[in-house]
Amino acid sequence: MGVSCADPSLLEGLAWLSCYLMTGKHMAFYLSFLTVLILLAITAPVAIIFGLLGAVGSRARLLPVRLLGRGYISVVRGVPDIVFFLFVPIALDQGFEYLRHRIMCPEVLEPVRQGNDFVVCTIAKLPLNSDPQWLHEIYGFALAVLSFAIVFGAFAGNTFRGAFEAVPRNQLETAEAYGMSRLQVFWRVLLPQMWIYALPGLSNLWMILIKVTPLLFLLGVEDIVYWARELGSAKTSAFSFPHPDWRLWYFLVLLLFYLGLTKISEIVFARLMARYNMGQATLGGSRQLGQVGR
Amino acid sequence: MTQQSKSDPVIALRGIHKSYDDLMVLRGVDIRAHEGDVISLIGSSGSGKSTLLRCINMLEICQQGDIQFCGEAVRWSGDGPGRMPADQAQVVRMRTQLSMVFQSFNLWAHMTVLKNVIEAPVTVLKRERGEAIDEAMALLEKVGIADKAHIYPAQLSGGQQQRAAIARALAMRPKAMLFDEPTSALDPELEQEVVKVIRQLAGEGRTMILVTHDMKLARDVSNHVVFLNQGVIEEEGSPETVFGNPKTERLQKFLHASVAA
Ligand SMILES: Nc1ncnc2c1ncn2[C@@H]1O[C@H](COP(=O)(O)OP(=O)(O)OP(=O)(O)O)[C@@H](O)[C@H]1O
Ligand SMILES: [Mg+2]
Repeated sequence: MGVSCADPSLLEGLAWLSCYLMTGKHMAFYLSFLTVLILLAITAPVAIIFGLLGAVGSRARLLPVRLLGRGYISVVRGVPDIVFFLFVPIALDQGFEYLRHRIMCPEVLEPVRQGNDFVVCTIAKLPLNSDPQWLHEIYGFALAVLSFAIVFGAFAGNTFRGAFEAVPRNQLETAEAYGMSRLQVFWRVLLPQMWIYALPGLSNLWMILIKVTPLLFLLGVEDIVYWARELGSAKTSAFSFPHPDWRLWYFLVLLLFYLGLTKISEIVFARLMARYNMGQATLGGSRQLGQVGR
Repeated sequence: MTQQSKSDPVIALRGIHKSYDDLMVLRGVDIRAHEGDVISLIGSSGSGKSTLLRCINMLEICQQGDIQFCGEAVRWSGDGPGRMPADQAQVVRMRTQLSMVFQSFNLWAHMTVLKNVIEAPVTVLKRERGEAIDEAMALLEKVGIADKAHIYPAQLSGGQQQRAAIARALAMRPKAMLFDEPTSALDPELEQEVVKVIRQLAGEGRTMILVTHDMKLARDVSNHVVFLNQGVIEEEGSPETVFGNPKTERLQKFLHASVAA
């Protein structure tokens, strides 16, 4: 664009607005949308893996594994999410640092807990104090993703557990009768047939996950809600781009963003359902074949 | 373990006992199926026919008795209620040579008909996929549903599903086949298409044990008929004697009821 944004007070109308929308803080605002999408894109598969592990564990033959799986699912489900979101990153952070401390500075004998402080030797710090700022941010974000994944993994685990139980016995027994090992039965029959029963629950979880992403700010990540409030609030003439209280507009943008995201999700899940329903002798499956009420 | 010889029966059961908790379902059943034998198992509902078939391929574990397959005896560990097969590899080997056809078809719902047929040959027997597909198509041709190869089971009629299940069983190139009331879930007209396939298989000299309520089928295809009653063999013999000249009162009653039905 031909206009210079150097002196905003000289600008008017569209030129002013386009300069306003290109400020560094706005860039951070736009980037935070990406943060939310990345959070979702990483959390969902990791949570599914945690959930599968939890569900498989909770049905294991070995008692300790079974207890671990059941414990994970019921403990995490039984605690308010927000408490967990606050607890897990701190616990993980201190856990990692404690381990590194013990390994890297075995000569330090003082206890790690000194009064109210959690003290580890400098080289055990995570990230190191000397590390660049972006590494600190990534580390914080990774901890956030991990806590989301742990919480949603537990809910997904419960969904999977129910879905595993819902697969008809005769499907598994037939696989056994044709010589499949337990592992083959799991991979070839149980797992592929489980999805159809898990998808409705997973789609609910996904919607909830989308809607709790603003909790990111609790974990110190500057997310879209933080920026919308920050940028939208009234700016006096002390700022380069003074404006009245525009929070309504900023939040409207968030609203549309979340609505769009959930709408797209609905479409994707409908497609997935259709795919997994294929050939199932369920109402969904026969609707697809146009056989309902044949 | 004995070396397999020509005279060893494909399946030999001796003194099979099976109970669920304190319900005695099988109390000492002996059956021998030589190569080419078609043995029909008849008996009233609850007499233990399905349980016996399931004991043969070890979907259920019998607490007493011996199972021999082509001269090779199943090895057990433990005794009585805690008895288990000692050698899982042996169980798998036997299962792959003993194909089962179920009353409710049990085709894998998430696979097309063709995938159902090649699944066990490829994943269990490690056959080459392309060959397995060629063989599967030939088998589907044989049971008359080659045009349904790429369709999911739920889109087929019951008779077509059961024929697909029979193709799946044949794809294992089994030494013997176990049929558990393969036509009982079918309407009379669909039943006939499956009966036709079973007759054809019997005519090819395949070794089969067939649980059925269809007395006409039993009479036509089998060379030996076993009447099971409350977990014991009440009477057995050639179809001519069992159907033409039943000795026990129970069998007479049972046959009478079957004709009336
Ligand atoms: N898993 C099980 N647990 C407990 N009891 C069982 C189980 N399976 C079968 N039974 C019992 O064992 C008995 C024999 O059952 P089975 O299915 O072998 O009979 P069947 O001769 O095949 O009858 P049908 O002609 O109705 O199929 C029945 O009394 C049944 O209730
Ligand atoms: Mg039965």
